[in-house]
Amino acid sequence: MPNVSRILKIGAIVLLAVAVLAFPGVAPNPYILSAGVLVLNYAVLSTSWNFVGGFTGYISLGHGALAGLGAYGTGLLVAKGGLPPFLALFLSAAIVAALAVPIGFAALRVRGASFVIVSISLVLILLLVFQSWASVTGGSRGLVVPRPFDLSRPEHHRVFYYLFAALLAAALVAWWLIDRSRFGLGLKSIREDEDKAEALGTATFTYKLIVFVVSAAFTALAGGMYALWFGDLDPVFQFSILTGSYLVLMALLGGVRQLFGPVAGAIIVGVALEYFKVEYGDTPLHLVATGLLLALVVLFMPDGILPAVGDLLKRFDRSQRSSIREVSAAELREQRLKEQAGTETGGKGTGDDGTGRTAMTEAGGTTR
Amino acid sequence: MASELELTDIVAGYGRAAPVLRGFSVEVPAGKIVCLVGPNGAGKSTVLKVAGGLLKPRDGKVLVGGADVTGRGPQAMLKAGVSLVLQGHSVFREMTVEENVLLGAYTMKDKAKIAQRVSFVKEVFPVVADRWGSLAGLLSGGQQKQVEFARSLMVDPKVVLLDEPSMGLDPKATGTVFEQVVRMRDAGTAVLLVEQNARRALETADLGCVLDLGRVHISGPAQQLLADPQLGELYLGGRPAEPPVQPKI
Repeated sequence: MPNVSRILKIGAIVLLAVAVLAFPGVAPNPYILSAGVLVLNYAVLSTSWNFVGGFTGYISLGHGALAGLGAYGTGLLVAKGGLPPFLALFLSAAIVAALAVPIGFAALRVRGASFVIVSISLVLILLLVFQSWASVTGGSRGLVVPRPFDLSRPEHHRVFYYLFAALLAAALVAWWLIDRSRFGLGLKSIREDEDKAEALGTATFTYKLIVFVVSAAFTALAGGMYALWFGDLDPVFQFSILTGSYLVLMALLGGVRQLFGPVAGAIIVGVALEYFKVEYGDTPLHLVATGLLLALVVLFMPDGILPAVGDLLKRFDRSQRSSIREVSAAELREQRLKEQAGTETGGKGTGDDGTGRTAMTEAGGTTR
Repeated sequence: MASELELTDIVAGYGRAAPVLRGFSVEVPAGKIVCLVGPNGAGKSTVLKVAGGLLKPRDGKVLVGGADVTGRGPQAMLKAGVSLVLQGHSVFREMTVEENVLLGAYTMKDKAKIAQRVSFVKEVFPVVADRWGSLAGLLSGGQQKQVEFARSLMVDPKVVLLDEPSMGLDPKATGTVFEQVVRMRDAGTAVLLVEQNARRALETADLGCVLDLGRVHISGPAQQLLADPQLGELYLGGRPAEPPVQPKI
């Protein structure tokens, strides 16, 4: 019989998909719809960040720069290169992925705080370049990107809402496939302990570089899609450390080891950011709230909201109720039946080698 | 008997400091447990790092099955048939027992061979089969050590290098761990064992080697080393305890 938490998980996914698809139909005005587009953009960016952050444990604050590169690449290819918008989008993502190879080659040689600093420096360098190179990028005046469709504003939002939803689905499927692959197993071992992983034969640097490039490609696609949707790019906003910080916050809040963790985080943070901007205008209050939220998450939910909810659901699921040793009641019952059968037939169920017996004793001991 | 692993005249150390190993040599014959004992700082763990490819020797040769593998990295050493179990608990705590064991086969491509090795290690270490889906971090210290042993056997190694397998374990778990070391040997794998619990290790091993100041002080059959009273005083924490005298009632 399928357990309750599994049914709830599938139900939640279906509900989320229905809610996402139905949102444009129930959004009361174009502003709310545009906020929905923005939240989906955050969800794609955060999920893209989670390819590196979630699998390898490397915290990058530089993903805002990769999104900015994708946005400017798409914008320049359309506005100055005259390419069709969606060809420009994919070409730009391919260029950013290619650029991610030397960037990753340099950045992934260091770990921990050093990697964070290198990733921040990427944002600052690109900000200076795109601000100073005004003849190409438009500098501080910004870059206007022609709209791909001749539609009214609400229709424009609606179309891009579904395009972002499709991109999010693609990113989630890619993350899910990696999570279940041998490649994913190697990446997760890097997250747990890179030195041990290397000692076991995992090609750690190559794996980190590959996943960084995949992450950069999805990030660039999200950035490029934003450029086509918003139509106006400014280096100060495109190459901002804040963007990278938001992505980290969203992923941490939802749960970096969860497929839907960054999506959950993006919904919460994205909605909160829009609320603060509407209610309090251009005050830095939303930054204070973001900082507070980050501190609370790190202190009280280090694994994120989704794992916390999952643990809560497990409490109500009798079939999954477990001891401190993570042996469910059903498993224990089965073990005891095996033990009894072994005793009756004189087999090894009683653990004549000492090892099986140890496991059973401990499991039994913790549930008394 | 042919040696699975042979270290000859190894000189090795860290950075620019004086070498820790100063002409160390040892042979690990097929199907035998060789135990390295010695005081702290003698260079026991350094021997394993050199043999496991984690530390490049400054001089000397490392041979596996007769082939020269001196200076190769950990991946190459794994492929050559040398598997290292690090000191302390080296399981990936947030990963399942299954994932931990499969990571041991990371250099293997043949799925059928991997499945065969999984069946083998489950048979040798029943606790691995029992706790296959559990998070490794939730297992007891002794069980975690067995998961590490199982992981090290996945590549069907010629030699397993064990660095202080009983560290941090209670006496009962230590006993189980040493039983499993014997099972590894009986399954056909040569073992090079480094252990602080010298007396217990020599009781388990076939051959012993006392290391002091980076060189072999004395080597020979483990039982012979155990019986040497001078060696007992110097390196094994004194003479074996005499059985307690029963008071006459």
